[in-house]
Amino acid sequence: MTGRRTSLLALGFCALAAQLITVNRMNPAASSESPLAAPEQIETLLTRACYDCHSNRTRWPWYSRIAPASWLVARDVALGRKELNFSEWGSYYPQTQTRKLQWMGRMLRERSMPPWSYRLMHPAARLGAEDRAMLERWVESGISVSAQHISD
Amino acid sequence: MLRRSFVSAALVFAVFFLAAVFVLGAAAAYAENSVVEVRFENHHFSPASLQVPAGQALKIKVVNASSETIEFESFRLNREKAIQPGEAIAVRLPALSPGSYDFYDDFHQDVPQGSIVAK
Repeated sequence: MTGRRTSLLALGFCALAAQLITVNRMNPAASSESPLAAPEQIETLLTRACYDCHSNRTRWPWYSRIAPASWLVARDVALGRKELNFSEWGSYYPQTQTRKLQWMGRMLRERSMPPWSYRLMHPAARLGAEDRAMLERWVESGISVSAQHISD
Repeated sequence: MLRRSFVSAALVFAVFFLAAVFVLGAAAAYAENSVVEVRFENHHFSPASLQVPAGQALKIKVVNASSETIEFESFRLNREKAIQPGEAIAVRLPALSPGSYDFYDDFHQDVPQGSIVAK
Protein backbone atom coordinates (compact mmCIF):
# COMPACT_ATOMS: atom_id res chain seq x y z
CA MET A 1 0.00 0.00 0.00
CA THR A 2 2.83 2.35 0.97
CA GLY A 3 4.66 1.37 -2.21
CA ARG A 4 1.65 2.19 -4.34
CA ARG A 5 1.21 5.54 -2.60
CA THR A 6 4.89 6.36 -3.14
CA SER A 7 4.59 5.47 -6.83
CA LEU A 8 1.51 7.67 -7.23
CA LEU A 9 3.25 10.53 -5.44
CA ALA A 10 6.33 10.15 -7.67
CA LEU A 11 4.11 10.08 -10.76
CA GLY A 12 2.25 13.19 -9.60
CA PHE A 13 5.52 14.96 -8.92
CA CYS A 14 6.87 14.06 -12.36
CA ALA A 15 3.62 15.28 -14.00
CA LEU A 16 3.89 18.59 -12.13
CA ALA A 17 7.60 18.95 -12.90
CA ALA A 18 6.85 18.34 -16.60
CA GLN A 19 4.64 21.46 -16.61
CA LEU A 20 7.77 23.53 -15.96
CA ILE A 21 9.06 22.66 -19.43
CA THR A 22 6.96 25.05 -21.49
CA VAL A 23 6.74 25.37 -25.25
CA ASN A 24 6.45 28.40 -27.49
CA ARG A 25 2.81 28.70 -28.61
CA MET A 26 3.12 32.12 -30.25
CA ASN A 27 2.01 32.47 -33.84
CA PRO A 28 4.45 34.44 -36.03
CA ALA A 29 3.45 38.04 -36.75
CA ALA A 30 1.06 38.46 -39.66
CA SER A 31 3.12 41.35 -41.09
CA SER A 32 5.72 38.97 -42.53
CA GLU A 33 3.14 36.84 -44.31
CA SER A 34 2.54 36.33 -48.02
CA PRO A 35 -0.44 34.01 -47.74
CA LEU A 36 -2.14 31.79 -50.25
CA ALA A 37 -4.93 33.40 -52.24
CA ALA A 38 -7.51 30.68 -52.72
CA PRO A 39 -11.24 30.71 -53.48
CA GLU A 40 -13.38 31.16 -50.38
CA GLN A 41 -14.63 27.56 -50.27
CA ILE A 42 -11.09 26.20 -50.51
CA GLU A 43 -9.88 28.67 -47.91
CA THR A 44 -12.64 27.47 -45.56
CA LEU A 45 -11.65 23.82 -46.06
CA LEU A 46 -7.96 24.53 -45.59
CA THR A 47 -8.64 26.56 -42.45
CA ARG A 48 -10.75 23.76 -41.01
CA ALA A 49 -8.46 20.84 -41.87
CA CYS A 50 -4.94 22.14 -42.43
CA TYR A 51 -4.17 25.57 -41.03
CA ASP A 52 -3.55 24.53 -37.42
CA CYS A 53 -0.30 22.87 -38.46
CA HIS A 54 0.33 24.34 -41.91
CA SER A 55 -0.01 28.07 -41.34
CA ASN A 56 0.93 30.81 -38.90
CA ARG A 57 -2.73 30.93 -37.84
CA THR A 58 -2.64 27.99 -35.45
CA ARG A 59 -5.58 27.68 -33.07
CA TRP A 60 -3.78 26.21 -30.10
CA PRO A 61 -6.05 23.68 -28.39
CA TRP A 62 -6.54 23.52 -24.62
CA TYR A 63 -4.33 20.43 -24.30
CA SER A 64 -1.43 22.31 -25.84
CA ARG A 65 -1.05 23.91 -22.39
CA ILE A 66 -0.51 20.59 -20.64
CA ALA A 67 2.75 18.63 -20.85
CA PRO A 68 3.52 16.17 -22.35
CA ALA A 69 0.75 16.82 -24.92
CA SER A 70 2.07 20.38 -25.32
CA TRP A 71 5.46 19.07 -26.46
CA LEU A 72 3.91 16.85 -29.11
CA VAL A 73 1.59 19.58 -30.39
CA ALA A 74 4.44 22.13 -30.56
CA ARG A 75 6.63 19.63 -32.41
CA ASP A 76 3.87 18.80 -34.90
CA VAL A 77 3.13 22.47 -35.59
CA ALA A 78 6.83 23.31 -36.04
CA LEU A 79 7.32 20.40 -38.43
CA GLY A 80 4.05 21.10 -40.24
CA ARG A 81 5.03 24.71 -40.89
CA LYS A 82 8.41 23.61 -42.18
CA GLU A 83 6.82 21.13 -44.56
CA LEU A 84 4.17 23.49 -45.86
CA ASN A 85 3.17 26.91 -44.61
CA PHE A 86 0.17 28.43 -46.37
CA SER A 87 0.89 31.77 -44.65
CA GLU A 88 4.19 31.93 -46.57
CA TRP A 89 2.89 30.51 -49.83
CA GLY A 90 3.87 33.59 -51.79
CA SER A 91 7.50 33.22 -50.76
CA TYR A 92 7.78 29.77 -52.35
CA TYR A 93 9.43 29.48 -55.76
CA PRO A 94 6.99 28.38 -58.51
CA GLN A 95 8.75 25.00 -58.62
CA THR A 96 8.39 24.63 -54.85
CA GLN A 97 4.69 25.52 -55.10
CA THR A 98 4.25 22.81 -57.73
CA ARG A 99 5.95 20.23 -55.51
CA LYS A 100 3.84 21.22 -52.51
CA LEU A 101 0.68 20.93 -54.58
CA GLN A 102 1.77 17.53 -55.91
CA TRP A 103 2.33 16.27 -52.37
CA MET A 104 -1.03 17.71 -51.31
CA GLY A 105 -2.72 15.80 -54.12
CA ARG A 106 -0.99 12.60 -53.09
CA MET A 107 -1.86 13.07 -49.41
CA LEU A 108 -5.50 13.68 -50.33
CA ARG A 109 -5.66 10.58 -52.54
CA GLU A 110 -3.99 8.45 -49.86
CA ARG A 111 -6.17 10.04 -47.18
CA SER A 112 -3.12 10.51 -45.01
CA MET A 113 -3.92 14.15 -44.30
CA PRO A 114 -5.17 15.40 -41.93
CA PRO A 115 -3.57 12.63 -39.80
CA TRP A 116 -5.86 10.36 -37.78
CA SER A 117 -4.41 11.57 -34.48
CA TYR A 118 -5.41 15.14 -35.37
CA ARG A 119 -8.86 14.08 -36.62
CA LEU A 120 -9.40 12.24 -33.35
CA MET A 121 -9.08 15.45 -31.37
CA HIS A 122 -10.61 17.70 -34.07
CA PRO A 123 -13.61 15.93 -35.58
CA ALA A 124 -14.49 19.05 -37.57
CA ALA A 125 -11.25 18.65 -39.52
CA ARG A 126 -12.50 15.48 -41.20
CA LEU A 127 -12.84 15.82 -44.95
CA GLY A 128 -15.81 14.26 -46.66
CA ALA A 129 -15.67 12.83 -50.18
CA GLU A 130 -17.02 16.08 -51.64
CA ASP A 131 -14.44 18.15 -49.71
CA ARG A 132 -11.63 15.94 -50.95
CA ALA A 133 -12.88 16.08 -54.54
CA MET A 134 -13.08 19.88 -54.37
CA LEU A 135 -9.58 20.15 -52.93
CA GLU A 136 -8.19 17.70 -55.48
CA ARG A 137 -9.67 19.75 -58.35
CA TRP A 138 -8.15 22.91 -56.88
CA VAL A 139 -4.77 21.18 -56.48
CA GLU A 140 -4.82 19.92 -60.07
CA SER A 141 -5.65 23.35 -61.47
CA GLY A 142 -2.93 24.85 -59.25
CA ILE A 143 -0.36 22.41 -60.63
CA SER A 144 -1.33 23.32 -64.21
CA VAL A 145 -1.06 27.06 -63.51
CA SER A 146 2.24 26.61 -61.70
CA ALA A 147 3.68 24.46 -64.50
CA GLN A 148 2.69 27.15 -67.01
CA HIS A 149 4.49 29.80 -64.91
CA ILE A 150 7.63 27.67 -64.88
CA SER A 151 7.59 27.10 -68.63
CA ASP A 152 7.02 30.84 -69.41
CA MET B 1 1.76 -45.18 -43.86
CA LEU B 2 0.24 -41.99 -42.57
CA ARG B 3 3.35 -41.31 -40.49
CA ARG B 4 5.61 -41.75 -43.53
CA SER B 5 3.52 -39.29 -45.56
CA PHE B 6 3.66 -36.79 -42.75
CA VAL B 7 7.46 -37.09 -42.50
CA SER B 8 7.81 -36.67 -46.29
CA ALA B 9 5.60 -33.59 -46.26
CA ALA B 10 7.55 -32.15 -43.37
CA LEU B 11 10.83 -32.77 -45.19
CA VAL B 12 9.60 -31.14 -48.39
CA PHE B 13 8.34 -28.18 -46.39
CA ALA B 14 11.69 -27.88 -44.57
CA VAL B 15 13.63 -27.94 -47.84
CA PHE B 16 11.41 -25.24 -49.37
CA PHE B 17 11.59 -23.18 -46.20
CA LEU B 18 15.40 -23.33 -46.11
CA ALA B 19 15.61 -22.50 -49.82
CA ALA B 20 13.31 -19.49 -49.32
CA VAL B 21 15.38 -18.30 -46.36
CA PHE B 22 18.56 -18.68 -48.41
CA VAL B 23 17.15 -16.81 -51.42
CA LEU B 24 15.69 -14.00 -49.32
CA GLY B 25 18.86 -13.73 -47.28
CA ALA B 26 21.02 -13.56 -50.38
CA ALA B 27 18.71 -10.96 -51.92
CA ALA B 28 18.81 -8.88 -48.75
CA ALA B 29 22.59 -9.15 -48.55
CA TYR B 30 22.85 -8.13 -52.21
CA ALA B 31 20.52 -5.20 -51.64
CA GLU B 32 22.48 -4.14 -48.58
CA ASN B 33 25.63 -4.12 -50.72
CA SER B 34 24.10 -1.56 -53.10
CA VAL B 35 24.59 1.43 -50.85
CA VAL B 36 25.30 4.88 -52.19
CA GLU B 37 26.07 7.87 -50.03
CA VAL B 38 24.97 11.48 -50.39
CA ARG B 39 26.28 14.21 -48.12
CA PHE B 40 24.59 17.50 -47.43
CA GLU B 41 27.21 20.12 -46.69
CA ASN B 42 27.73 23.82 -47.45
CA HIS B 43 24.13 24.12 -48.59
CA HIS B 44 24.26 21.50 -51.31
CA PHE B 45 24.10 17.76 -51.90
CA SER B 46 27.24 15.99 -52.93
CA PRO B 47 27.34 14.28 -55.33
CA ALA B 48 24.50 16.16 -57.00
CA SER B 49 23.94 13.33 -59.43
CA LEU B 50 24.01 9.66 -58.54
CA GLN B 51 24.34 6.93 -61.13
CA VAL B 52 22.70 3.72 -60.01
CA PRO B 53 21.91 0.49 -61.79
CA ALA B 54 18.31 0.17 -62.92
CA GLY B 55 16.30 -2.84 -61.85
CA GLN B 56 18.13 -3.29 -58.58
CA ALA B 57 17.05 -2.36 -55.06
CA LEU B 58 19.39 0.01 -53.31
CA LYS B 59 19.94 1.95 -50.15
CA ILE B 60 20.90 5.60 -50.07
CA LYS B 61 22.71 6.82 -47.01
CA VAL B 62 22.05 10.54 -46.59
CA VAL B 63 24.44 12.31 -44.25
CA ASN B 64 23.56 15.75 -42.97
CA ALA B 65 26.97 17.30 -42.29
CA SER B 66 25.49 20.79 -41.93
CA SER B 67 24.33 22.60 -38.81
CA GLU B 68 20.67 22.79 -39.90
CA THR B 69 17.88 20.25 -40.06
CA ILE B 70 17.16 19.24 -43.64
CA GLU B 71 14.56 17.09 -45.32
CA PHE B 72 15.60 14.69 -48.03
CA GLU B 73 12.61 14.57 -50.31
CA SER B 74 11.64 13.19 -53.68
CA PHE B 75 8.11 13.31 -55.01
CA ARG B 76 8.79 10.81 -57.77
CA LEU B 77 10.34 8.34 -55.34
CA ASN B 78 7.64 9.09 -52.76
CA ARG B 79 10.16 9.65 -49.99
CA GLU B 80 10.54 12.40 -47.38
CA LYS B 81 12.71 12.17 -44.32
CA ALA B 82 13.91 14.90 -41.97
CA ILE B 83 17.54 14.64 -40.87
CA GLN B 84 18.93 16.37 -37.82
CA PRO B 85 22.35 18.09 -38.00
CA GLY B 86 25.19 15.59 -37.82
CA GLU B 87 22.90 12.63 -38.35
CA ALA B 88 22.47 10.16 -41.18
CA ILE B 89 19.48 8.23 -42.45
CA ALA B 90 19.02 5.31 -44.81
CA VAL B 91 16.53 5.57 -47.65
CA ARG B 92 15.63 2.20 -49.06
CA LEU B 93 14.49 2.16 -52.65
CA PRO B 94 12.96 -0.62 -54.70
CA ALA B 95 14.35 -1.57 -58.11
CA LEU B 96 14.10 1.59 -60.22
CA SER B 97 13.05 1.78 -63.83
CA PRO B 98 15.59 3.55 -66.05
CA GLY B 99 15.22 7.31 -65.75
CA SER B 100 16.04 10.33 -63.67
CA TYR B 101 14.58 10.87 -60.21
CA ASP B 102 15.10 14.27 -58.64
CA PHE B 103 15.58 14.86 -54.94
CA TYR B 104 15.85 18.05 -52.92
CA ASP B 105 15.93 19.57 -49.45
CA ASP B 106 12.33 20.48 -48.75
CA PHE B 107 13.27 22.75 -45.84
CA HIS B 108 15.53 24.99 -47.96
CA GLN B 109 14.11 25.70 -51.38
CA ASP B 110 17.26 27.50 -52.55
CA VAL B 111 19.33 24.33 -52.25
CA PRO B 112 20.08 23.00 -55.74
CA GLN B 113 18.23 19.78 -56.40
CA GLY B 114 20.03 16.52 -57.01
CA SER B 115 19.14 13.56 -59.17
CA ILE B 116 19.38 9.81 -59.12
CA VAL B 117 19.93 8.47 -62.59
CA ALA B 118 19.04 4.81 -63.00
CA LYS B 119 20.63 3.16 -66.06
